[in-house]
Amino acid sequence: MKKLNLSIGKVPDQAVRIGAVFLIGIGSMVVLRQRFIPESFGELGHYRANAIPVVAGAPLHYAGWQTCGACHQDELDKKLEGFHRTLSCETCHGPAYEHAVVDPTATTPTVPRGRETCLTCHGYLPSRPTGFPQIIELQHNPMEPCIKCHNPHNPATEEETPACSGCHGQIARTKAISHHSLLACETCHVTPAEHKENPRQYLPKKPTNREFCGQCHGEGTPTSGTLLGVDLSARDIPKVDVETHGNTYLCWQCHYPHFPEGK
Amino acid sequence: MQAHFAELGALINQISGFIYPNEIELQWSILIVIYPYLTGLVAGAFILASLEKVFNVKELQPTYRLALLCALSFLIVAPMPLQAHLGHPERSLEMFLTPNGNSAMAMFGFVYMWYLMLVLLLEIWFDFRADMVRWSQEARGIKRFFYSALALGSKDISEEAVAFDHKAVYTITLIGIPSAFILHGYVGFIFGSIKANPWWSSVLIPIVFLFSAIVSGIAMILLIYYVSSLVRGQQPKMPCMDKLASFLLYALILDFSLESLDFIHRLYESEESIHILSELIVSKLFLSLTIVQILLGTILPLLLLAFGRYSRLPAELKRIIYVLSAMLIQVGIFSTRWNVVIGGQLFSKSLRGLTAYKLEIGGQEGLITAIGFLILPFLIFLLLIKILPPWEDEKETVPAAIEA
Repeated sequence: MKKLNLSIGKVPDQAVRIGAVFLIGIGSMVVLRQRFIPESFGELGHYRANAIPVVAGAPLHYAGWQTCGACHQDELDKKLEGFHRTLSCETCHGPAYEHAVVDPTATTPTVPRGRETCLTCHGYLPSRPTGFPQIIELQHNPMEPCIKCHNPHNPATEEETPACSGCHGQIARTKAISHHSLLACETCHVTPAEHKENPRQYLPKKPTNREFCGQCHGEGTPTSGTLLGVDLSARDIPKVDVETHGNTYLCWQCHYPHFPEGK
Repeated sequence: MQAHFAELGALINQISGFIYPNEIELQWSILIVIYPYLTGLVAGAFILASLEKVFNVKELQPTYRLALLCALSFLIVAPMPLQAHLGHPERSLEMFLTPNGNSAMAMFGFVYMWYLMLVLLLEIWFDFRADMVRWSQEARGIKRFFYSALALGSKDISEEAVAFDHKAVYTITLIGIPSAFILHGYVGFIFGSIKANPWWSSVLIPIVFLFSAIVSGIAMILLIYYVSSLVRGQQPKMPCMDKLASFLLYALILDFSLESLDFIHRLYESEESIHILSELIVSKLFLSLTIVQILLGTILPLLLLAFGRYSRLPAELKRIIYVLSAMLIQVGIFSTRWNVVIGGQLFSKSLRGLTAYKLEIGGQEGLITAIGFLILPFLIFLLLIKILPPWEDEKETVPAAIEA
């Protein structure tokens, strides 16, 4: 077979051949780039600018809260006054374009009545900011639907000061079946008014001496009449010598006051 | 999806402390462990090959072509685990059409292409060209056409032409050394530049990666040279084995020193992450880092190599020690990659808790796929040595496999 010598000047044959392969490779890359890079690529950034009208042409699902306000102005006004003012109506009621724009009678947006939807944001999570209202589902009025006390359009409750059981439900339920059921929480816990606004900074007080429990449980204390708001008649209150019983420990160090009969 | 969540649920028991909800599932799986492992082998094997060509280490002559073909087989497979990790692998090719200069990961495609096309393939082509011409002239039929096509139709094997080939190989190797450094240094850079992750974010990471790459590459060539000699019924040349062991020992000492430096530096700096990283090392990574990487994969082979290299043992025993050390080093370097990639995802960004990695057996990113990607380079290597026999003594004869 005849040798085909492609050498150019001092560049030998094999270098020309491999060089040609690389040139073909680079050439195909140039052609591929021209063929495959979309026309509008890079006009606005590192993407295809024509993608914007494509996305804008996609079917709409959400109408936006302004559209809801056209018919539901009362609810919208209420929402705009409350803590949920930054939420869109469709956050809770679901996409409502069909209902709000196309035909109001064709579909009805969902109305979440259970606890799940609210817990999505208000269930306790340690990574949430401390000031954000959060509840522990099992402790905060278990089983009750949130809308029983809170109007979702303006969720702050009408009660200015919620009951202790609102946050300390577990303790409240334990106490309710104990001998201390008739005692109000404030009987033993002196609670600063700020506690309900800022619970971790203003803590309620606990009894700090044995004489406090001794008001009912000390030897020689009355067995009839009314004491600390409780009618004592027909109650068999255990009595001990407060001076000597249990060494120097405080009563609640051995007895759990919310369920004192428990061992 | 339900089953997937059930499997994730099983991990809950292995989580300690506080982690963010999106941290329970590791996003970078074992496939991302294999990628730096394979890339490291490529860079290491090439750097070893360059020792013979540029630094004229004559003892390593028998491993030169083996190292080049080995580097090529590993380089072909290196991006495959990355592709398998992607949901839409075909889209990865778009980074060649519309490159994003701001993305370190996207630019790796160009580093890879540079190394594959302009270094490795070119060097192999120039080195084998005269042989390919000779094989094409001696053979008949398809085989003649095959070798002729591989040689791109060139026929010139005159002294000047071969001298040009040698010069070309020398020049490409010169360019190839920094390129190999860039190839694997770049892999380290991708990890080292992730400033949000204190386990990765360190300027030493690219250098540590580079030296561990050299260690793993030399160890792999030592193993391949030993096994290929045995398979061919030949005694491995002892000066070559000794030289490989020496270089392996030097590289290992450097690698271990750099890793220790990184460790001591972190410990002395004692940034806020140090508590969770210490906990990580003594709990989740204790086996893979302390036992496998440091003790079995570094200190033991270091002692074995030093003992084997500088004692008066019979050649056969020395070889066994070298091979054993090289095997331990492979396991050690694989754990290094594991500890970097998986370890870096085991602690929470809150620096307050640790999660766990659940390795699947099957599936796209499972153990079987991973083993497949570790075996595949060796199959490609077998194919390459059938097509381009790297043996000095067979240089003149036509490859038998192609003859058949």
